[in-house]
Amino acid sequence: MLTTALRNVLAHKARSLMTVLAVCLGVALVSGTLVFADSSAAAHRAAASRSFADLAVSVTPAYSRSAPDQPDVLTDDLVQRIGNVPGVAAVLPSAEGSAVLNAADGKPLRVQQGRNQAAGYVPQRHPLVEGRAPAAEGEIAVDRGTAAAGGLRLGDTVTLATDGPAMTARLVGIVTTQDTRVTSGGTLTVLDRATAQRLFAAPGHYTSIDVSAAPGVGEHELAQRITDMLPADRAEVTTGQAMADQQAIYVGTLTRGYQKLPMVFAGVSLFIGSFLVLNTFAMLVTRRTREIALLRAVGATRRQVVRSLLLEALLIGLAASAAGFVLGLGVASVLPDLLSDAGNELPDGPLVIGARSVAAALFVGVGVTVLAAWLPSRRAARIAPIEALRSAAHPAARPRLRAAAGIGLLALGVGLLVSLAGSAEDASEENLRSAMLGCGILVLALIVLAPLLVRPVIRLTGRLTRRFGVTGVLAQQNALRDPRRTAATATTLLLSTALVGGLATIGTSTGQALDRQAADGLAADHVISTGSTMTGIDPAVVQRVAATPGVRGASAIADSVAVIGGKVREISGVDPAGISQAVKLDFVSGSLQDLGPGRIAVSSSVAAETGTSTGRSVNLRIGSSESFAPYTVVGVYRDNPAARDVLGARDEVQRHSYKPGSVQRILVSGDGVSENALRTAVGNNPLLKVQDRAALVREAAGTMSELLTLMYGLLAIGVVIAALGIVNTLAMSVTERTREIGALRALGMDRAGVRRMIRLEAVTVAAFGTLLGLAGGLFGAWAVGALTGGAMKQYTLVLPWGTLALLCLSSLATGAIAAAVPARRAAALSPLEAVAEG
Amino acid sequence: MIVNSLAPQPMPGAAASTVDLTKVYGSGETRVTALDGVSIAFREGEFTAIMGPSGCGKSTLMHCAAGLDTPTSGSVRIGTTELGGLDDRQLTQLRRDRIGFVFQAFNLLPTLTALENITLPLSLAGRRPDPQWVERVVSMVGLSERLGHRPAELSGGQQQRVAVARALVARPAIVFGDEPTGNLDSRAGAEVLGFLRGCVEELGQTVVMVTHDPVAAGYADRVVFLADGRLVDEMAHPSPDRVLDVMKSFAG
Ligand SMILES: Nc1ncnc2c1ncn2[C@@H]1O[C@H](COP(=O)(O)OP(=O)(O)OP(=O)(O)O)[C@@H](O)[C@H]1O
Ligand SMILES: [Mg+2]
Repeated sequence: MLTTALRNVLAHKARSLMTVLAVCLGVALVSGTLVFADSSAAAHRAAASRSFADLAVSVTPAYSRSAPDQPDVLTDDLVQRIGNVPGVAAVLPSAEGSAVLNAADGKPLRVQQGRNQAAGYVPQRHPLVEGRAPAAEGEIAVDRGTAAAGGLRLGDTVTLATDGPAMTARLVGIVTTQDTRVTSGGTLTVLDRATAQRLFAAPGHYTSIDVSAAPGVGEHELAQRITDMLPADRAEVTTGQAMADQQAIYVGTLTRGYQKLPMVFAGVSLFIGSFLVLNTFAMLVTRRTREIALLRAVGATRRQVVRSLLLEALLIGLAASAAGFVLGLGVASVLPDLLSDAGNELPDGPLVIGARSVAAALFVGVGVTVLAAWLPSRRAARIAPIEALRSAAHPAARPRLRAAAGIGLLALGVGLLVSLAGSAEDASEENLRSAMLGCGILVLALIVLAPLLVRPVIRLTGRLTRRFGVTGVLAQQNALRDPRRTAATATTLLLSTALVGGLATIGTSTGQALDRQAADGLAADHVISTGSTMTGIDPAVVQRVAATPGVRGASAIADSVAVIGGKVREISGVDPAGISQAVKLDFVSGSLQDLGPGRIAVSSSVAAETGTSTGRSVNLRIGSSESFAPYTVVGVYRDNPAARDVLGARDEVQRHSYKPGSVQRILVSGDGVSENALRTAVGNNPLLKVQDRAALVREAAGTMSELLTLMYGLLAIGVVIAALGIVNTLAMSVTERTREIGALRALGMDRAGVRRMIRLEAVTVAAFGTLLGLAGGLFGAWAVGALTGGAMKQYTLVLPWGTLALLCLSSLATGAIAAAVPARRAAALSPLEAVAEG
Repeated sequence: MIVNSLAPQPMPGAAASTVDLTKVYGSGETRVTALDGVSIAFREGEFTAIMGPSGCGKSTLMHCAAGLDTPTSGSVRIGTTELGGLDDRQLTQLRRDRIGFVFQAFNLLPTLTALENITLPLSLAGRRPDPQWVERVVSMVGLSERLGHRPAELSGGQQQRVAVARALVARPAIVFGDEPTGNLDSRAGAEVLGFLRGCVEELGQTVVMVTHDPVAAGYADRVVFLADGRLVDEMAHPSPDRVLDVMKSFAG
């Protein structure tokens, strides 16, 4: 049986190839992503252990809750004493913290939490490539990547800030670093040692003391010896290995997010590809009906028929897995380039092929193929021996059952979505899940109903194809000939069009709503913010901003986090009078009038999720405070990004803030205030972002660019697989119709005519899939959009005409291009095929 | 035996002619000379039947003469057009405009109705069918009632009559038929033959038909006999009995 299956696969190389290609695309994405993940994890680990290569033990101050204000013990004296511990080869004290700096154009450079490193100069750590080391206050060096990204040159005056006001310093040197936090897109600022000590520890103190071991002394042994001599509870010891591991994990989580997108693509491509496999095997069964019936007539059991087909699928699956895996290695080697932008480099390293990747490739490739072949193989088993004697094979279709099932599903899906759209108030997780389910059912209904829709829809498109004369008519009729096959071929395009069309519509609508929300919710003209609750704006800066010419109002806001209802939310401490001028708050109930200590207002989503309302009391823990306290809700406002999740009294929030007494945002109102004037007012501090309304809107829309990538990626996958499917179906059709095509040639259809006929057939099939997909996708988008509309009153359904047009065009083009090869083959047929025997 | 009337030069008044037509299939051991220097002319308005034992090259002759296949050597003309110099597009155009072909297996397009099948050559040429002519052809084949039917809904005889009507609709210079009645019973066969005869008589149509049936040959003006790829005999105004005699002589 294996040899028969193998012979079948090999006998139809072209068709097997299409099937293999369709599946191997998904396999490649899965295994490529996994290999990429393994490789980048290994590379991170390698890079991390490189940067901690000669570090055996690191001593850091211990944070003591009982005596938080006691100065730490990491002084030169301790350095001396550690140096005397037996087994210590060298001691390297350092003073490190974080600092952000402005690029040459005055804009903050690569500001990213956790990746803006600063350190006192240590020759071993910071090899100079240009200039000299910073030797006094007012001198700095930066790493090569930062200098390049910021356009900084030796001798430039650079504005920087650690966590307070801005300072300036002269760039005197360029260094290199192996710190992966920096090389993966951060910055490194090197200061002279004394300044670093003053900024990050205290004069004469260090933030860490790194120790390297003499040959033959183990890390743990040395760690123990040093622990023994340290004052208890005042400092702690970490081994180099542990630090390398920690850092690898940290950077690893940064890159883990990169895997999500390729995996989504993989899933979608496998799902769509499975329909191609299904269709291929369905066509195969139809074509082999006679042969199978003959086998049954001479005594083959149903089981044997099914098994032989599944075996064929298994072989194709294996080939797809193997090919996919090899292709996956290619994917893995280009992914880093695709995912890293100019400054954000992923560490280089060899490809790491884990057992997991190989197993996943095999499992996915074989699994999808065999599963997809299973349905047609059931049909093959139903072929009766008598069909060997019938001339034309017409597999029994059961349109009634199909119609009933399809309409049932359609009613269910549409019903679910419509009821949801009518009743749901917000985009809560539960509602979204129901919406997803509804969309899924809807798509399933479309797939089931598609064969029945072929006739009416293609009659409609036929009005256009008929313009091409008799070739158009023939193309249309050919597409109508086997509705099930046409539908199955179109399914790939149906799915991708529905997905992309729906996503594009939801994305555009949500994006515009977000824009409007950002614009509507804010009355202020500029926003100055720290972007972090860990840093604050000087009170002096607030004064300077308020005094800037043209500024009518400057409302300072203290931002922090608050735990409410078991979730961490963003809380803004405001002054009720100032905020109502800067933020347009739309109260569902209550007002800000009574805001004060012990009182808060919450956004409608928070109110809905925690089940609270105006007048009720909720338990809240703000910022660094240690315990929950009851707060009275004085009002519920519509979601507004400027007002965050919860509004509290400014003094209260400031008291519990991570930087007590600080403010994090200033909302500035006033006409004709220039951004530059405000930048100057904040002392060009790179810690502070100054944005006008347009920039804020852009920032809100930034999240949409990921959606765009997703969409175009899905479109590409859909188009490629659809093209393979169309090639496959048409090739099969051409083979089945050689006689007819021969007759047409004999009767005077020229080669161009034959080509046009096949191409028009492909375009018709593609148009069918596209139309159905668009209908499904747009309906789904409308239903899901209605949910969003409940939460965002600015939401209206916006049709992205450009994207939709592009979608339709690319789908139709897919049909036309995919038809090229089968069309060429059909055109090459000789008119004598009409009279060929058999 | 060389037959005098088969002039080696194309003669005026010939709808189609071949000169020294040779067709060789395969090479080496499998080499088959299907046609061996056949020179023949089909006069305008004449109904010619080609007969001969199986494998003697009748179909090959017809395919070459109709521009469906290319000869190994020798020349083929339709009217005064030499086919050897034509490229695929010109050949296609020639088949469409000047040649009608009736296949043994009908070869109707299953997705088109009878009428659409009949007018297919015109549609392919992008020509508007002349309604009167179509009407005449259709009524001659007696299919006026069934024009909206698909081939699957027609009997074998009816299908073949559609095929004949299709071959005539573009007013070709010559109609070829390779055993057009081979798949029909004698009654349906007689319908088709009577119809072809009618075309010759009423429209002055030139018709060339391959057949194994002496009765069918009896409808023709002339019968040519082929054996082993060569012309061996010809008979004017054949009757089934005389044809049968000649055929017996081959067998003996
Ligand atoms: N495509 C081909 N390749 C090789 N040999 C061929 C091919 N077509 C025909 N022949 C050979 O050429 C010879 C003539 O064939 P042809 O089909 O013309 O015979 P025929 O007279 O039409 O026979 P029949 O009465 O059985 O239809 C035969 O010996 C046949 O085997
Ligand atoms: Mg023959």
